[in-house]
Amino acid sequence: MRILVVEDEAALRETLKTRLVEAGFTVDVASDGNEGMFAGQEYPLDVAIIDLGLPGLSGLEVIRRLRAAKKTFPILILTARDNWQDKVEGLQAGADDYVAKPFHFEEVLARLQALLRRAGGWASPQLKCGPIVLDTRAQTIAVSGVAVELTTFEYRILEHLMLRAGDVISKSELTERLYDQDFERDSNVIEVLVGRLRRKLDPQDALKPIETLRGRGYRFALPRDAGS
Amino acid sequence: MHSLSRRLLISVSVPLALFFGVMMLVLDSGFRALSERSIQEVLDSEMVSLVAAAEPQPNGGYAPTPRELDPRLARPRSGLYAEIRSQLHQWRSPSSAGLDADFGSLLPRGERNLAYAIIGHERVAIESRAIQFEDDPNGTRGLTFSVAVSLTPYEEQLWRFRQQLIGWFIGLMLVLLIVLAGLLRWVLAPVRRMEREINEVEEGRSDALGGGYPRELSGVATNLNALLIGERRRVTRYRDTLGNLAHSLKTPLAVMRSSLPAADAGGAVSHEIDRMSGIIEHQLKRAAASGGALLGQAPVEVAQVAQELRGALLKVYASKDLAIELAVAPGAQFVGDRGDLTELLGNLLDNACKWCKSRVRLGAAAVESAGPRERLSLVIEDDGPGISAENRARVLQRGVRADETVPGHGLGLAMVHDTVDMYGGTLAIEASPLGGARFALRLPGR
Repeated sequence: MRILVVEDEAALRETLKTRLVEAGFTVDVASDGNEGMFAGQEYPLDVAIIDLGLPGLSGLEVIRRLRAAKKTFPILILTARDNWQDKVEGLQAGADDYVAKPFHFEEVLARLQALLRRAGGWASPQLKCGPIVLDTRAQTIAVSGVAVELTTFEYRILEHLMLRAGDVISKSELTERLYDQDFERDSNVIEVLVGRLRRKLDPQDALKPIETLRGRGYRFALPRDAGS
Repeated sequence: MHSLSRRLLISVSVPLALFFGVMMLVLDSGFRALSERSIQEVLDSEMVSLVAAAEPQPNGGYAPTPRELDPRLARPRSGLYAEIRSQLHQWRSPSSAGLDADFGSLLPRGERNLAYAIIGHERVAIESRAIQFEDDPNGTRGLTFSVAVSLTPYEEQLWRFRQQLIGWFIGLMLVLLIVLAGLLRWVLAPVRRMEREINEVEEGRSDALGGGYPRELSGVATNLNALLIGERRRVTRYRDTLGNLAHSLKTPLAVMRSSLPAADAGGAVSHEIDRMSGIIEHQLKRAAASGGALLGQAPVEVAQVAQELRGALLKVYASKDLAIELAVAPGAQFVGDRGDLTELLGNLLDNACKWCKSRVRLGAAAVESAGPRERLSLVIEDDGPGISAENRARVLQRGVRADETVPGHGLGLAMVHDTVDMYGGTLAIEASPLGGARFALRLPGR
């Protein structure tokens, strides 16, 4: 998952980045509103954290402009002024949730995961497609009730595919979500990872959970369970 | 006495009444003196003609010859009576026939006298003179001539005069007072306009006083406007400062919190950070709540704030299957600060969303019969577990510690309680027919 953190306080920005990377995110950072706008428009983001009290272009304005630019990724706002007027303004401007400072990182993480699930049309933190169950909170995978061990990269790819189960996702989009912006992109690492995933999830080659659409990308083919 | 125009009217009408009263006394006494003099003149001339007409009689007395007698003296009860009396004889005018008349005693020589008495049922003025004729064939010494004239016509005249006088004066005074009242209305019109405009500002229908006041009041109007605008600016600046303060105090706390190792999440440092942040939040919010002290603010449409909050909360609680019903009467308005109302409703609705199973309801209506401080009725209820009777009082406890006594009902409720207090409203926690808690608020409204 690729995330943008727009926060002017350097120490907070860096700790957020460190903790988010630990949690398996690919993190872009911006220290003011203009940088945030640029990153929000240029990078293929899955989610963003935006502080409302930014110098220069305010957080509220960044959110408004991103939404005006048809950017639909979920936005979590950080606010020091824990009052409803600000929250309502932020949410009306196009943010999806808020966290008041000083926050527990675990709470931020839980909110981000909930936003990502919701963005993919999932209501519960457990993504269920047939026998495959992915728990976004515990970051665990089970197939027919049997736990499957995945590497971080494998998990990220599967989470991304399952969150948007049914959609076609290009190879470059997956690459961008795995690596930071300066990583060299043309490698067949995605193909290798998807191959490993198929073998781990479906050793008998009976489920065929991940389809390859030549020239277009991959699609998680198992239907979502009703009610999840 | 609390109205300027009434004071002015009273202070003008008292001297006016005094003036008219004294005038009436003076005129009355002048008129009386005038009529007394005319009575005197009538008496004098009747006396002269009576004396001139008096002739000695064979019996030794004196009487006027009937030929020269004033006809009024001959007509019974005409109001003019006469008597000529000596030691032995007495003549009385035919007009006094049958009347019980006392013209007074004989006068010593050279005396004259004016007296008042009653003849018949009339008050009369009696002039008596002692007369000694030079050629006195009858040798009678000391005649007393008396002439009496009825006062009734004069009294009637005086009475009519007084009636007319009082009538005129009352009429004149009424006209004067009406003219005065009209003038006062005109003079005080700018004051009344100022009062009306201040009311409008107070009720939030306008944000400042208008222009065009007379010279004496324009200074007051200008200063009031400056005060209003200055106060509004001050509050805005104050809130901005508080917001910046919150930002600059809490961001370092956030840094501290997020640099704690994950294992310390529930530890002592984390706890202290919670406490500090709670104190900052509580005190800053208390300081920022205006409590309705701000003049010239437009009343807030509850429906609009409720809609905004509903939208925001549905986003925040998107993963919970809940419905927020709004039953806000059209035109229900809150007289106070929009931020305060948003905060109140935000906290209560957030709590309700947090605790409900699936239903949250917000009701708002203006209660016409209630006082202005309690005219807006707000009800927030949910179908959650509710708050037990013994916890209801604790939930509203003020201060930072409130969040430690009842987990989940945090600072928000203490804040709500503070704000309601500041507006002089009321807050009650009850059991909702939906099954959960029901917060019933009364706030200044329209």
